[in-house]
Amino acid sequence: MYRWLDERLDLSRFNKKYLSKAFAVHHSYFIGEIALFAFMTLVITGIFLTFNYEPSIRMVKVAGKNLPAAYASVLYIDSLPFGAVLRSVHHWSASIMIAAAFIHLLRILISGAYKRPREINWFLGLLLLVIAIVTAFTGYSLPFDAFSATATGIGYGIGTSMPYIGEWISQVIFGGEFPTVHSIPRVYSLHVLWFPLLLMALLGMHMLVMVKQKHTQPAYAKKVAPGRILGVPLMPQQAYMSTILFLLYLAVVFFIGGTYIAHPIEVFGPPTASTPAVKPDWYLIWIYGILQIIPGDLKIPLPGGAVMNSEFIGSILVPGILGLVAVLLPFLDTRATKMRYMELPTRHPVRTAVTFALLAFLITTTLAGWKQELGLSAGQLWAIIIGSSIITYLVVYYGIILIWGRPPKGDPDAEIA
Amino acid sequence: MSKKTDTTRRAIVGATVGIGLGIGSLSLLAPAISLRPKKEVTPEAEPPKEGDLFTFAVGDDAGKEITFDDLPLGGPAVLAFPKDPKTGIIKSAEKNNLVLLIRLNPGDLGDEVKEYAANGTVCYSAICTHLGCTVGEWDAAKKAMLCPCHKGTFDPRHGADVIAGPPPRPLPALPISAQGNKPVVAGGFTSPPGVLAGTEAAGGSCAV
Repeated sequence: MYRWLDERLDLSRFNKKYLSKAFAVHHSYFIGEIALFAFMTLVITGIFLTFNYEPSIRMVKVAGKNLPAAYASVLYIDSLPFGAVLRSVHHWSASIMIAAAFIHLLRILISGAYKRPREINWFLGLLLLVIAIVTAFTGYSLPFDAFSATATGIGYGIGTSMPYIGEWISQVIFGGEFPTVHSIPRVYSLHVLWFPLLLMALLGMHMLVMVKQKHTQPAYAKKVAPGRILGVPLMPQQAYMSTILFLLYLAVVFFIGGTYIAHPIEVFGPPTASTPAVKPDWYLIWIYGILQIIPGDLKIPLPGGAVMNSEFIGSILVPGILGLVAVLLPFLDTRATKMRYMELPTRHPVRTAVTFALLAFLITTTLAGWKQELGLSAGQLWAIIIGSSIITYLVVYYGIILIWGRPPKGDPDAEIA
Repeated sequence: MSKKTDTTRRAIVGATVGIGLGIGSLSLLAPAISLRPKKEVTPEAEPPKEGDLFTFAVGDDAGKEITFDDLPLGGPAVLAFPKDPKTGIIKSAEKNNLVLLIRLNPGDLGDEVKEYAANGTVCYSAICTHLGCTVGEWDAAKKAMLCPCHKGTFDPRHGADVIAGPPPRPLPALPISAQGNKPVVAGGFTSPPGVLAGTEAAGGSCAV
């Protein structure tokens, strides 16, 4: 059989070229893979959900109650054997995908792997993270319960706050002023078709570029075999490890999904005229926190009567600036030679300290999402956010210098690069 | 044929084809305007107009007409939709038609509010000017209307001024008058209800 196919398709050439690709081995290299596994799980559980979901908010009568069709169909999904579990696995996998992608990004950041020649994959990765979050957000509205409809309505409001184009963009995405009868079909199409296709295309490019450029090598590879590419072949070693990791991932996420039912829509009930107090998913709470402590009358006027209001500044401009800095990073932080080995975080104290300060910023702005519960004023929270970011920077920077010493002048990675 | 003419001819052919393809492709973008949905105004989605009654928007009494006696004195506010008394249609299909009715001690009302009030009762848009949640809760300590989403707080005595939280402007007021023991709509909103998209709010509510 193999010979028959080989004669026609020249499989041996393909095997030699691709299946024996060397994968560098380092525990931090599996994080990106976990994001990929989460995406695969999302596609598979998502197919199950589309088989039963009805993208419509028209009222249907179910067991004597008038319910939106979308809400009723999610109740039906929950009533199927394993239905609620699969829906929960879909929900938690989205969280895990975003978390894994973000930790993957941090790994690239502190090891300097965004530098020449890997800038393209850094951009693709940033885009993947943003599209993954947008995709997760579009999925949020689909059960159309009181909680998700309110949260999506807030997203609609944030979208319209963009000067000049906001209303147009929001209405195109949400089919009018959310929620209209046109909203759910549109968001459904984006969530199950266009964004996943975009993610698949970007993931494909991300991995092709990685295969072409090869991984950055862990520092130990320099000691073991300087100048050579160290790693295990894709087939069979890496494939076995990946399969085991995937199965392990499934076991964990099914355990979580089976134990904690995600987003219990029966508890929230269908949307009514009043809106419940909502918080976004954890990966957006930092933006929610900023929105809570930014002064509401903050306005930057623009020509033509448009303004940048506090919602735009808090939830689009601030993340946008962070994104812009990330995009510019490979051009600002450069090196003379092509990068082959991961840089040591301790040899780049400024970058490492900034990374930790960024984490402190994200954690403390997330904390601001509980402003009401904590009973702190906006001023106190700003002091905590700015203070802890600066303190984290100083502690990490001087901590590195104290323990590992100042990086040598010239090329700080001379020993390993 | 000289070399010069040959390049010129190439350039002309290239430019012609390029411009043709460019304009042709751009013209294909015209249908993109249909991406923006049509706003369909059904009788259920018309804005409140003079003479409209109010009905409960939520709860067991949803759909029932509201009388002044249904409104607890001093708050909390009651969520309501306008209802056309002639056709009997409740205008609940438009989100921005959701309003708050609150009955207060007439002496507590600010002067600017009085002209919109009837029997000490004031009517405000219930859609938060921040990000469009329903201002459906009551802050008993501040005696003010509270939006649960980002804790915007509005003072019903003074034109729904923002006294806490992020909303950029007060809730628009809907003037009412008394018809027997029922509040009825006496005019349009004092400013556009709901979230204003990235533009400077034109005028405030009655407080301005």
